[in-house]
Amino acid sequence: MMFKKILIANRGEIARRVLNTCRELGIQTVAVYSDVDSAAIHVLEADEAVFLGDAEPAESYLNIDKIIQAAKSTGAEAIHPGYGFLAENADFADRCQEEGLVFIGPPAAVIRDLGDKITARQIMIKGGVPVIPGMTEVETDPDTIRKMADEIGYPVLIKASAGGGGKGIRIVRSADEIDEACLSASREAQAAFGNGTIYLEKFFPKAKHIEFQVLADAYGNVIHVLERECSVQRRHQKIIEETPSPALDPALREKMGAAAVAAARASGYVNAGTVEFLLDTEKNFYFLEVNTRLQVEHPVTEMITGIDLVRQQLEIASGQALSIRQEAVKGRGHAIECRIYAEDPQQDFFPSPGRIVFLKEPAGPGIRNDCGVYSGFEVPVNYDPILSKLVVHAENRKAALQRMIKALQDYVLLGIKTPIPFLISVLQSNPFQTGAVFTDFIETHFSSWEPETPDQDIARLAFIAGEILGAGKQKKQSLVTSGIVTPFHTLGNWRL
Amino acid sequence: MNTLEYRLKIDDEIVPVTVDMDAENGFTAVMDHQQQRVQYTMVSDYQIYLMIDGKGVNVYLNEDADGKTILVNGQVYQVQDADDLERKPARKRGARHQPTAVTPLTPSVVVSVLVAVGGRVEMGQKVVILSAMKMEVTLTAPYSGTVTGIHAVAGDKVSPGQILVDIQPETDPTSLT
Repeated sequence: MMFKKILIANRGEIARRVLNTCRELGIQTVAVYSDVDSAAIHVLEADEAVFLGDAEPAESYLNIDKIIQAAKSTGAEAIHPGYGFLAENADFADRCQEEGLVFIGPPAAVIRDLGDKITARQIMIKGGVPVIPGMTEVETDPDTIRKMADEIGYPVLIKASAGGGGKGIRIVRSADEIDEACLSASREAQAAFGNGTIYLEKFFPKAKHIEFQVLADAYGNVIHVLERECSVQRRHQKIIEETPSPALDPALREKMGAAAVAAARASGYVNAGTVEFLLDTEKNFYFLEVNTRLQVEHPVTEMITGIDLVRQQLEIASGQALSIRQEAVKGRGHAIECRIYAEDPQQDFFPSPGRIVFLKEPAGPGIRNDCGVYSGFEVPVNYDPILSKLVVHAENRKAALQRMIKALQDYVLLGIKTPIPFLISVLQSNPFQTGAVFTDFIETHFSSWEPETPDQDIARLAFIAGEILGAGKQKKQSLVTSGIVTPFHTLGNWRL
Repeated sequence: MNTLEYRLKIDDEIVPVTVDMDAENGFTAVMDHQQQRVQYTMVSDYQIYLMIDGKGVNVYLNEDADGKTILVNGQVYQVQDADDLERKPARKRGARHQPTAVTPLTPSVVVSVLVAVGGRVEMGQKVVILSAMKMEVTLTAPYSGTVTGIHAVAGDKVSPGQILVDIQPETDPTSLT
């Protein structure tokens, strides 16, 4: 029985994405918001909205008690956690169950197991999934670590077992670097995660990051929904993703897909998840980790398969069996996603919060923009700066690249800075065009980037036309373009 | 016939433009010895459609303290009126060049201060770590010298313009480029 009312415990573009599917299915929706999000798009588009508190995440989007209370007071039967915030918080999943609410995601025990890198490795080895050569227990003695590093061969990675987001990782290229690397990785992990335990893995300097989408119902049916390649990353944050991966042929895809399904089975996975692999230069693949949530880049999979992954999540969580057989999963054409952050590419990607004075989204065949902002919205300083995900789908990779570059050129955001000029440079670059993309892509080709500015003359003429017409500012009579006047708009850009 | 003279600056390049206005929403511009006929249509507060020698292009503008931010074909141009700049007192915003003071670029929270009063710093040395939008950012010393004052501690909320660390330069700062 499909849910009648769902609470979305998130904000911005992903909350809106989940809301979209709920509305299509006729499910009542409840949004939650902090004080800086009172006019945010996810609030405006939900049936009901519950105020949580201060912008500080601990007071709002991370506050389990308040969110549970919001679900109970509105009669929501289930909670969709989106990504980030509480999406991979096993305690939150437990609390939902205790309170009689359905957590739309895997069971808490699975989240816990897969959240610890060592436990995850052990599960995968038992399940017959190839893992990166290295340790399967945490180790505190640097000499033991050094011995194994000598055996595996340098370079190696010292990794925090509780880690994520690039923290608690040190690359070690020779035996004499081991002691210092162990100390600093452990210190960083202790500070970031409260757990300084470390272990050792082989490091692949030229690897591709390939992930497989999986769907599993509560009755033991598991399928994969093809792969995504996410090798273009900056400081361990993905910025461009695509599918299919230019590195996979049908045989390799089948092998890796089977391994992804095996990984999901081995961990008792239910609902949507993503199994991440590293593909080395010899086309060997190794398990990296499982992301126990719907991922940011899920739209590219939806574009090539026509499957609505959020809808699948809701059906699985409401007790339905998977309606898709593995043989029916087929990809058509090529899809690319670019993440549009509120960051200034000319200031080392420094966050660029502030008011969006004008927004014009690209449109056309095969163009999808999952957008969490609008003209007039004040982008807050307190959260992840993702504004939207621009996704294109076309008949093949070359056509998809052309479509994405054109879409980026058509995407207008005024008032804040975005990495759009940088993304255009990356997509136009020869290595990207030929698919020679590895996880060191940005450091190798774009470590110091300057924007291309071929239209300086046009910009000067535009300036003059702007002076004549008085363009580039709001006319005195009109209010804030969104029509909602709050102190957050009238106070100006800088707020504390 | 109205003739206007502009000196328009993008990055460090100032280009003079002579503009002859005409009656039908257009002008003729001479720039770098090239003449171009421009017609303009205001589409909205922020969008202008230009026809330059018969070729159409949409441009998007936003006025800010630094002149106008102009978007053309996905690229961003910061255009300033050089005459205006010379009239107004110079306002360093620490944009794309070396910072001149230890101050945040957006509202942030101080994570840690890495120097102490009396300590010596080199230009480019890390002095303060800030957190903004879940990102850690490091402010560096704009020039070599000695720390003479610290005006922030871990946990403080700070904004652009606030000087977090005073550094007495060891050489005459006007001799730096």
